[in-house]
Amino acid sequence: MSSKIKDWLRQDRLPHIYCTGCGNGTVINCTLSAVTQMGWEIDDTVFVSGIGCSSRASGYISTDSLHTTHGRALAFATGVKMAKPELNVVVFTGDGDLSAIGGNHFIHACRRNIDMTVICINNMIYGMTGGQGSPCTPEGKYSTTTPYGAHEPAFDLAELAAAAGANYSARWTAYHVKQLSDAIKTGLEKPGLSFIESITQCPTSYGRRNKLRTASDMLEYMRTNALLLSKKRRMEEIGEEIPAERFTVGEFVNRNKPAMGVPK
Amino acid sequence: MKLIIDETRCKGCNLCTTVCPYSIFTEGKKLNERGIVVPVLDRPQRCTNCRLRNLYNRQLCGVCQLICPDQAISWVEETEGLTEKVVIEY
Ligand SMILES: Cc1ncc(C[n+]2csc(CCOP(=O)(O)OP(=O)(O)O)c2C)c(N)n1
Ligand code: SF4
Ligand code: SF4
Ligand code: SF4
Repeated sequence: MSSKIKDWLRQDRLPHIYCTGCGNGTVINCTLSAVTQMGWEIDDTVFVSGIGCSSRASGYISTDSLHTTHGRALAFATGVKMAKPELNVVVFTGDGDLSAIGGNHFIHACRRNIDMTVICINNMIYGMTGGQGSPCTPEGKYSTTTPYGAHEPAFDLAELAAAAGANYSARWTAYHVKQLSDAIKTGLEKPGLSFIESITQCPTSYGRRNKLRTASDMLEYMRTNALLLSKKRRMEEIGEEIPAERFTVGEFVNRNKPAMGVPK
Repeated sequence: MKLIIDETRCKGCNLCTTVCPYSIFTEGKKLNERGIVVPVLDRPQRCTNCRLRNLYNRQLCGVCQLICPDQAISWVEETEGLTEKVVIEY
């Protein structure tokens, strides 16, 4: 660990509870790498999270943190930001936490464009409660509640954040560690709501049911199926077919609309 | 600088083995006392990060450290009198 990142981790709580090869730990590294590059102080930064494996992340970081009720991370974070706009507010959330039970909070936080950075660890499943399908389970994929393959279309969270009004929206994966760290850093710098989604491996609840048993298999899946947004647009222009397995990564929106909660 | 794996943290996921462009990590064979197969380091002095860190005073690759979900990978200052000679290749 680089010594700066080490200072931001609660060493006494490590190793964390995540399963072997779970990508949540990687996203924590990328986030802390971006946070330390910002030169922020531990005392001026607050991490907020909901409930789920991914939401445990805030508890491993040495700043003040709020581990809130399921789906309400953004509502609590809004409160923190409104009460003390000078604080840096970063939210960790899972795909279920953010887009299922917390779906409305998500849309309205983006619409209000509140000055915070939201990092969604999208493992395409409810990890903590045993692998039920979430609104982000891709079509045809297996989970405990979709034993014949999910047949509802999945949410595209990065597109949703952009449409709802966030100033910044990007998606990468836990394989693209450098790009993910850079996107988080851009999000931290930007006033207004920044949304960074990371497709992340959950070998235990997702991989095991979808022929991707090990973390390395899941990494390989992310490496081969991530499609750059610019490339996808080019493919669409020339009418080339995009295979169903592929998902887009890159910057979806980066704009400077008026933001709420920015210190005057 | 020298690369190390903290055996008290590593859970043996082998993500470092998958991503290192220099194949410095290889899958281990033996269980350690925690029942985990920690990867073996194959001549870690070949790592660009180790070799060039002091020279350029910056982190060069570092992908293994970022990807390690268990914060088990770090670099330590090498002590004097080390027998392994670090050869700088360009
Ligand atoms: C109000 C409420 N409903 C349901 C739960 C049970 N619950 C705990 S974690 C979780 C799912 C978490 O999934 P996700 O947000 O995707 O995070 P992951 O564990 O996959 O990282 C659920 C449904 C709860 N804690 N509170
Ligand atoms: S169940 Fe999945 S998300 Fe939860 S700790 Fe295990 S691998 Fe990670
Ligand atoms: S820093 Fe890069 S080259 Fe060095 S061991 Fe890690 S992944 Fe390999
Ligand atoms: S990535 Fe980290 S936890 Fe996984 S095998 Fe390598 S050192 Fe161990």
